[in-house]
Amino acid sequence: MATRNQPAAAQPRSSRDAYSRELLLGLYRSMMTCRLSDEKARILFRQSKFGGNFYSNVGQEASEVGVAYSLREDDWIAPSHRDWTANIIKGAPLKLCFAQLFAKATSPDQGRSSPAHMGYPELKVITPASSIAGQLNVGTGVALGIKKLHKDSVVVAFFGDGATSIGGFHEALNFAGVHKLPIVYVCNNNLWAESVPIRLQTALKNLSDRAKAYGFPGVSLDGNDVLAVYDAASQAIVRARSGEGPTFLECKTYRWYGHSEIDPAKYRMKEEVEAWKKQDPILKFEKYLTDKKILTEELKKQVAAEITAQIDEAVTFAEDSPFPQPEDAAAHVWS
Amino acid sequence: MSRSITMIEAINEALDQELARDERVFLLGEDIGLSGGVFKATANLLDKYGEDRVLDTPLAEGIIIASAIGCAMMGLRPVPEIQFTDFITPAMDQLVQQAAKLHYRSAGGFTCAFTTRICCGGGASGGLYHSQENASWFVHEPGIKVVMPSTPYDAKGLLLASIRDSSPVLFFEHKKLYRSIKGEVPEGDYTVPLGKAAVRREGSDVTIITYGSMVGVSLHAADEMAKRGVEAEVIDLRTLSPIDKDAILDSVRKTNKVLIVHEDKKTMGIGAEIAAIVTEEAFDHLDGPVMRVTGPDIPAVPFSPNLEKYFMVNPEKVVAAMEQLAAY
Repeated sequence: MATRNQPAAAQPRSSRDAYSRELLLGLYRSMMTCRLSDEKARILFRQSKFGGNFYSNVGQEASEVGVAYSLREDDWIAPSHRDWTANIIKGAPLKLCFAQLFAKATSPDQGRSSPAHMGYPELKVITPASSIAGQLNVGTGVALGIKKLHKDSVVVAFFGDGATSIGGFHEALNFAGVHKLPIVYVCNNNLWAESVPIRLQTALKNLSDRAKAYGFPGVSLDGNDVLAVYDAASQAIVRARSGEGPTFLECKTYRWYGHSEIDPAKYRMKEEVEAWKKQDPILKFEKYLTDKKILTEELKKQVAAEITAQIDEAVTFAEDSPFPQPEDAAAHVWS
Repeated sequence: MSRSITMIEAINEALDQELARDERVFLLGEDIGLSGGVFKATANLLDKYGEDRVLDTPLAEGIIIASAIGCAMMGLRPVPEIQFTDFITPAMDQLVQQAAKLHYRSAGGFTCAFTTRICCGGGASGGLYHSQENASWFVHEPGIKVVMPSTPYDAKGLLLASIRDSSPVLFFEHKKLYRSIKGEVPEGDYTVPLGKAAVRREGSDVTIITYGSMVGVSLHAADEMAKRGVEAEVIDLRTLSPIDKDAILDSVRKTNKVLIVHEDKKTMGIGAEIAAIVTEEAFDHLDGPVMRVTGPDIPAVPFSPNLEKYFMVNPEKVVAAMEQLAAY
């Protein structure tokens, strides 16, 4: 199986049959790791095993994995609050991801950020702030640095539909367009910004139309189709890496649960939620893999069992880890 | 070798020499390239170093600062310019939520060492939106250092120290000082350490704690009061955050009286913090109330000359306060 951090070659959309078994199973395993980790996190939160809050990404795994899977170790991710699993895809050890939720001293930020706001400096996942769209600006800055240093890394910035309304979004994309920066803007349009529906967020049907204003390509696609996302992201990453500039990807998707774990999301119609759950990106991909005779019931069970064992081990590590000492709060103020 | 030059010349020279010395350094901001800056702080640098090192940016303070943060995370040493501090507010999210907290929130995993040059200050007929100071906003944000020089010598030495510092630094430059004073500045490389105040005038009767353009105003007032038999010690903070508590307290223990002078508004200003430091840590040494001469609590510096005069601190206002304090 492919290791998570190795680059995968971009493949044209027309040649889906040409995907290697290794790649397909790698994507599947990555999506399953995200799904099972996220669902485990939700259970742990309900059991009061950790406090604060958690922003579930369940339902959006195809866009998350489809984009981040093919990043290299030296590529950057600028995540939002809903992208805890981006760390997992990039290759952060699961035990550190759960230590983050538990706010333990062993977590990458030693218990500073709230649970889902995880970064992983070793693999260039930027520790997020909560200010919406701020990561687009900082990620754009990193992309300028990459260009100035003549490196061929890229930045992927994740954000939701709500982030496209704030001024910083415009500043970032405009600047990236001017300088043809190596960055891919990935909008996970899940139709709801907390409780605000998309119709009150934008007059556009496709958010990718915004890219025209910045002078680079924008693509809207089925964010629950991991291969569609993978294709589009691979092309965007190749484009960024070769100095041709940014791409805007709008992945149309849906979060199954509330904005956060304390949000019952009563503002959404049941029918809408159920319809989207039928578009489960993992079920869709499983069907594809089964039709291709790549995935069997047996293998499915094996993958789930392996991941579950890893998660259990990670949770144990997190539970057993010490909390930071109170006075550690005063460390790392000045660099 | 040193020679007498203006503060703007000292700043330009510091940038020029640091661009030459360290290839990680680059400048970015509005109108800094082709025009050489509104006040010519970056004059001729585009011609000398090219667009890769001296970049005219879109009119968007947020992305100017965000670009600097991101490039600093990549190991570069950006020096962004905010043309007037009055226009720093669009960059507040980037400065306060990102730059000030990045190192902290990643437990040192990410750092962003960059120095933002900011033109500030009133008394130059700039009106409401070209006269503010606003440095105290950032003193309230641990994680960002705040610097403001009062002399050409310090401007060069503090700017070089700031660019080489490992934390984000806000470097405030008072526009009235750019060309109104000259001072000896070495031609070569030197730094003035951050976090260290300077004693500009020794005295035994009262301590004036000040910074930026108010140092000159305070020195004028001190000379006037000397004629009346009151010897003031004038402390130039130079770095507002982290503040040099030792320098403040040493002087207070010597003179037992404290007058704080700053141009910015009074309430919750830097003077309030200094007064608290002095009363918390040197209460037994005080022979009178800690006093302040500051700008008034009005929203900004108004334009019409009489109105601006009302806002600005001048030597007469400082003398009046010193007379009051001397009576204790």
